[in-house]
Amino acid sequence: MSNEIDFDELLRKYKSDPFDYVDVFAVHTGQVSFKVVEGEEVEAPSGEWLQVPGTRLYEINRERNPKIVAAQTNGTVAQINTDFDGRFVEAGEKLMTIKHPLKKKEIIENILKEVLSLFPAPETAKYFFAMDIQSRIEKKGARAVTIEPGEEILTMSLMKRDTPVYYHGERGVIHSIYFKPGVSVAQGEPLLGICAPEKLPLIQKIITRVKADWDSEH
Amino acid sequence: MVDNRPTPAAVFDCLQRIQEKETVSAAGLFDAEAVRRHGAFAGSVIESHDSLPRAMDHARSLIKQTVQANNSVASGTVILADTMSRSKGRFARQWHAPHGGVWGCMIHANTLLPQSRRFIPLATGLACCETVQELGVEQARLRWVNDVLVEKRKLAGFLVEGFTEQIHGEEFTLVGFGINVNNCSFPADLADSSVCLKKILGEEVNLTDFTALFLARLAWNFGLLYYEEARELQGEPFSGRDGRHLLLKRWLACSDSVGKRVVYGFDVMTAPQYRGKVLGIDDDGGLVLRLDDGHMKTEYSGEIRYLNSL
Repeated sequence: MSNEIDFDELLRKYKSDPFDYVDVFAVHTGQVSFKVVEGEEVEAPSGEWLQVPGTRLYEINRERNPKIVAAQTNGTVAQINTDFDGRFVEAGEKLMTIKHPLKKKEIIENILKEVLSLFPAPETAKYFFAMDIQSRIEKKGARAVTIEPGEEILTMSLMKRDTPVYYHGERGVIHSIYFKPGVSVAQGEPLLGICAPEKLPLIQKIITRVKADWDSEH
Repeated sequence: MVDNRPTPAAVFDCLQRIQEKETVSAAGLFDAEAVRRHGAFAGSVIESHDSLPRAMDHARSLIKQTVQANNSVASGTVILADTMSRSKGRFARQWHAPHGGVWGCMIHANTLLPQSRRFIPLATGLACCETVQELGVEQARLRWVNDVLVEKRKLAGFLVEGFTEQIHGEEFTLVGFGINVNNCSFPADLADSSVCLKKILGEEVNLTDFTALFLARLAWNFGLLYYEEARELQGEPFSGRDGRHLLLKRWLACSDSVGKRVVYGFDVMTAPQYRGKVLGIDDDGGLVLRLDDGHMKTEYSGEIRYLNSL
């Protein structure tokens, strides 16, 4: 694995530019009206239940139904396509980019996402572990739980419709868990980071290296 | 000897009568005949058993065996059991299923788009609520998402699960239902929060006729889902007077959740999360809440309990 990924290069990249650039797209067709300007600071949702909305980014109006879209991450508005202000846009049109400052933990997670097999959310929904997996995690810890292709690992819950989610990927251990039970995950976002059991020591080396390098300079 | 034995013909007759009533009340708002045609698959095959461990498990086995034999399961196949010995609710909850109730599930081949499929749990609870209201229980109400309550006590619950068969990858939705009809004795921990139809009406209910009517209402509501989806795909607005999805409008008319103070939780029984007031239901069926700190949140999963009933 260390032969495939140049960690020195990755670390250099994050040290020189410790930001994530999050693109914001039109959620559906409609007329757009921006609520922020370039350089403005924006906040992510907050509150114990994420009930305090993030900073309003834009309003999109389709057939007299206005919808406010708020920031899902904190940062600075790095770039806005001001040409779209007041105009009709198609769904998925890129509207702006938010520059999100990365914490050490996020950088480690981002680097790990390059090396782990990521298992994505099939739909926007809430997820929780299948009972068997949950009890194995509670007994031994996630990193001692090996999952096999075809195994039922999660339940996807939406509007009281529960759908079992089967793992499709290489046999491995659950290294990273990217969701919290009861918190919605958008379709395509990673739920789990899986790695082959024999690669766990290497993953740990990577984490130790990143922490040491990061702490020595920050 | 199996007690609950509705036939597809009986379900069809009930569905026909529903269409006739709806044609009158629709007043041109929607095409009732088209709705009936869309939903007529439900109950086209009915298996009645005297006892099963779990109807959902039986449904999964049936699908597997049928596919292995190179056949297709009829969408709308209903599996009924007079009793279930290992029925369960969501999470680790038990479900009490003795003689006298309506227990079972319907197999629905997944041919709805995701935006319509999300309404299946609503459609199922609504079918039961409309059925018992038709029998004279006008005080029956829906608690989001699909619990049927009569004067704060639970008459019926529904469980909807997805299932993918492993040979061809065909997806199904298993619509599980549990309705307390003539079963009026409950375990001690459920006695204060449960009720049966027999007690409310003061007389025994014909289980077979009740089930036929419920399945016809379920067929009708699935018909609405397909009908509204077809309209949306053609670029037409939904059939509700204000352009709202007809199923949502009917659900709202049967529900008393809006305006209630509630406690919400993903698993509200073991892990309640926060309290708030229900402001409404959004166009995707989500529950719009105002929390005690004044902020609003819309939930698309999870459960509520009314605060004045705790």
